[in-house]
Amino acid sequence: MLSVKNLRVVFNTRNGTTVAVDDLSFELNAGEVVAIVGESGSGKSVACYSLLGLIPMPPGRIEGGAAEFYGKDLLPMSEPELRCVRGNKIAMIFQDPMTSLNPYMRVADQLIETIRQHKSMSKQDAHQKAIQALLEVGIRDAEARINDYPHQFSGGMRQRVMIAMALIAEPELLIADEPTTALDVTVQAQILALIKNLQVTRKLAVIFITHDLGVAAQMADHVLVMEKGILVEQGTTENIFKHPQHAYTRKLLSAVLTTTKPTPSLAQHTEPPFLHIAHLNTWFTQYGGAFIKRVVSRIKGVDDISLTIQRGEIVGIVGESGSGKSTLGRSIMRLVDTQSGEILLEGKNLLALSETDLKKSRRDFQMIFQDPYASLNPRMTVFDTLAEPLLVHGLATPQTVVEQVNELMDDVGLDRRFIRKYPHEFSGGQRQRIAIARAVALKPKLIIADEPVSALDVTIRAQILTLLLQLTQKHQLTMLFISHDMSVVRYLCDRVLVMQKGKLVEQGATEDLFTNPKEAYTQQLLAAIPKL
Amino acid sequence: MNTSNMPLEKGTSLAQDAFRRLRKNKMAVFGLFVLVFFIVIALTTPWLAPYTYDGQNLELGAVPPSAQHWLGTDTLGRDQLTRIMYGSRVSLMVGFIATAVALLIGVLWGATAGFLGGRVDAIMMRLVDVLYALPFTIFIVLLTVIFGSSMLLLFLAIGAVEWLTMARIVRGQVLTIKQQEFVEAAISMGLSPWQIITRHLIPNVIGPIIVYTTLTIPSVILLESFLSFLGLGIQPPQSSWGSLISGGVETMEEYPWLLIFPGLALSITLFSLNFLGDGLRDALDPRASKD
Amino acid sequence: MLFFIIRRIAYSVPVLLMVTLATFLMIHAAPGGPFSQERKIPLEVVKHLNERYHLDDPIWEQFFDYCKHLLQGDFGPSFKYPSHTVNDLIAAGFPATCELAIYATLFALVVGLTAGVMASLKPNSWQDYLPMSGAMLGICLPSFVLGPLLLLVFGIWLQWLPVAGWGQIPGDKILPSITLGASYAAYIARISRGGMLEILSQDYIRTARAKGLSTSRIIFVHALRGGITPVISFLGPAIAGLLAGSFVVETIFQIPGIGRFYIQAAFNRDYTMIMGCTIFFAFLIILFNLLADVVLVLLNPKLRQEMSGGR
Repeated sequence: MLSVKNLRVVFNTRNGTTVAVDDLSFELNAGEVVAIVGESGSGKSVACYSLLGLIPMPPGRIEGGAAEFYGKDLLPMSEPELRCVRGNKIAMIFQDPMTSLNPYMRVADQLIETIRQHKSMSKQDAHQKAIQALLEVGIRDAEARINDYPHQFSGGMRQRVMIAMALIAEPELLIADEPTTALDVTVQAQILALIKNLQVTRKLAVIFITHDLGVAAQMADHVLVMEKGILVEQGTTENIFKHPQHAYTRKLLSAVLTTTKPTPSLAQHTEPPFLHIAHLNTWFTQYGGAFIKRVVSRIKGVDDISLTIQRGEIVGIVGESGSGKSTLGRSIMRLVDTQSGEILLEGKNLLALSETDLKKSRRDFQMIFQDPYASLNPRMTVFDTLAEPLLVHGLATPQTVVEQVNELMDDVGLDRRFIRKYPHEFSGGQRQRIAIARAVALKPKLIIADEPVSALDVTIRAQILTLLLQLTQKHQLTMLFISHDMSVVRYLCDRVLVMQKGKLVEQGATEDLFTNPKEAYTQQLLAAIPKL
Repeated sequence: MNTSNMPLEKGTSLAQDAFRRLRKNKMAVFGLFVLVFFIVIALTTPWLAPYTYDGQNLELGAVPPSAQHWLGTDTLGRDQLTRIMYGSRVSLMVGFIATAVALLIGVLWGATAGFLGGRVDAIMMRLVDVLYALPFTIFIVLLTVIFGSSMLLLFLAIGAVEWLTMARIVRGQVLTIKQQEFVEAAISMGLSPWQIITRHLIPNVIGPIIVYTTLTIPSVILLESFLSFLGLGIQPPQSSWGSLISGGVETMEEYPWLLIFPGLALSITLFSLNFLGDGLRDALDPRASKD
Repeated sequence: MLFFIIRRIAYSVPVLLMVTLATFLMIHAAPGGPFSQERKIPLEVVKHLNERYHLDDPIWEQFFDYCKHLLQGDFGPSFKYPSHTVNDLIAAGFPATCELAIYATLFALVVGLTAGVMASLKPNSWQDYLPMSGAMLGICLPSFVLGPLLLLVFGIWLQWLPVAGWGQIPGDKILPSITLGASYAAYIARISRGGMLEILSQDYIRTARAKGLSTSRIIFVHALRGGITPVISFLGPAIAGLLAGSFVVETIFQIPGIGRFYIQAAFNRDYTMIMGCTIFFAFLIILFNLLADVVLVLLNPKLRQEMSGGR
């Protein structure tokens, strides 16, 4: 059905020419599912976009190769010819359904225009077909909801709408570009099941682009592994996962964490307990109203949570979006206002501290943030960023600070020669190391890590997690590790707390929780993880 | 690995990056040169000008450009080159000073509102919204009619109009930066609000402020010329480009040079400032630029 | 939705009141009385005029009196031409100004949008540089430079178009409308180009292309909605500038509109006329800002629902 031969795509930017896809060849038969796996910069998306002529052509250029779809080469096709293929024979769904659907148009119109573009049909018939399409993807009250706007749907439902829209003209090949990456893990499971279902019933061929090996394993018959534009290995799912040949494939697989925590817990029981939280409430109020601002709704970010952490523990806090895990972290950090409750760090109530005491105490608890791009001041060099906490808290004098910063760089595995560079000159992984160095600079007792590896590539992730383990051991840190990724938590944490809608649902030792979840929600979470 | 003996690698800051991009923008650089040229002229006019701005030569009357009067003379025999040069002083002075006034008020207002947030922010910005709805240009016309037009009045009045937009822009920027995680990191570190503002907020907010300031100056110059054109701004015999143009319109048919040269002077100044401002905006925000 | 409009109107009333008060105070703070500029007037006449215009009453009484008349739609008699009321004069001048503003806006929208949208479709090509250079020209040539230049070239040298008047000679509306609209066309061109470029880089445009939709459909049905939003935001406050611009254009082209009356009133120290016009202008500006905001809300389904009480 689809035969790609020696595809080569380059991008000409003012920084030079980058080869995004280099000599890619693969085949796809009708009804087959192939997954293209790779990290960022692997070229997996660019390759598929160029099949439909969707890459921006001024900077981008298809330099060579052919892509034969039922014998006809797609690459040299003119725009009008490609338009007949797009949506009609080959359809695409994208990663972020909120931005990928037109927010100004009703869902009905977006569905109807697709079908009327490719098949001649009256408006009424098209409308009926649109309703059918929505029902097929699992939106039950389709007839009522079809006139809604995209923002009125939840994330998962929006993705269903996208799928309906892609399949409404009955294409034979579906290209799915990371369709579940932006979704919660339970929703991801539903969408993957839906795609699998549709694939079987319609005998659809699917190209599934993903960085998540678990998803690839679950969905695909064949797997292509790409690195920096080159296809390094391809084969059946079983072969790739059981007998990987190429070094990169093996590196990818080893970076996928299926193991339990490699080192034992260093928890020490102390009296009073290291961190004790009692009945913490952090609520957000929304104001609204026509004339007078009144309270319209209250969102309970943290709803009456109590927990205890021992010294030296690494505790994971897991949950989906809206669970309140980030809010809990920020509440402890006193970055958001709490309504009531106590946060006792070694007996001292953080919520009751005066301004001056709080400032002094802040060196005891530090945070590592999720986005390595936003957590460093772009106008400060690495040296400035790392020296600042040391100088502010008097841990270094202008004479000693250079050496101390150098030691921090060594600690996190960064080359000392880079200390005068700026954040934008580093990669994401390196930036996160800088952020970690900043967090440990003050030799804190508690570190709260808010999804520190979620924005990083899979291979880098493993390195950073190892670094975190090393540092907690070396500096005797206690860590709260917030994440939505269960496998990461399993690798790193001694104990796990599960949160849902602001409440603490379950807690327990990691292995116990993973092998014997007691609550229904925990079981749901664990079941949704794609298995290799 | 001990690399402490190896030389440190130099980094390039975002400002240096932006500077490089700006240098490549030929129109912006050209605009900068023209602007500097006009500034130099404005500063050295008292020594450089061939005549005085109010020196009349009634016998001569209006003559087209000649060797003694490069840009011609007006009906009262006054040398146009001199008058345009003095006009540049007026325009640039109003431009810079009024913009400075707007900058000062706008930045303080917007930064405070943005940083403090919550109720204070709501009240401060509501005031800006209300003031925005007032027909300021018309008020300025009124003011000049009623109180006569002094330079001081012009500076204050024009500054009072422009600070509103500046405040909005600054507040928007501060709000955006405030939500960035590096500000949260700075708070977690225990920095005082003053330290956060000076070290983290201001350096990151300065870019758009510079761009907007550069684009405000031509607006101000335009407003002043507009008022002078209507006869409400700088009064003769002092020459503002606006009043020169107004005079030129009256005698447009017989002495077109009286209209064309001041018009050119004004337009070229506005051009150079706008190109420079555009260039700065593109240089500081790579997304907005060409590739 | 209705709530939104009512709330806005409610906010506008104090603003108008403030404008009235501010104008009133400014006029009464003016050095010298209304007649001090004129040649010496005999005391008798002064006394009579003071009575007629209530100038002897305490300030706040005068103000309340004025407001009372305002609410009835009465701006009072003109100082300069006591036989006419300000209402008469405004009514006489408004049609011309209104027509001028409409033509100028139409010109600005048509030329500006076409140029801007065209430029956004082929960035960095000549279709982009040419219109955008033209736009830069439009911004840097103020109406009082452009107007006379156009007059000079087309009216005097080439003699293609009439030099003055409004509605008297065919074609005399062309130059003034273009002069007033030119800089707005320039701004609209730049803003719409920026807006369209931003929209065209959005994910949902990529989706539309992936669905195989035709280019014209993508531009007009998908992109334009969002791309136009910044233009509408710009148009609301632009009305204030249009009114101010009419002062200049009407003066240059001798058009009998309110703008010219206003400037003349300013020079003549016709205080009631100045006040009346200022308040009338403020009212127009507030009205148009409201209209622009309403259109903005209508265009954005999310805002529309929030305004209607949401779901």
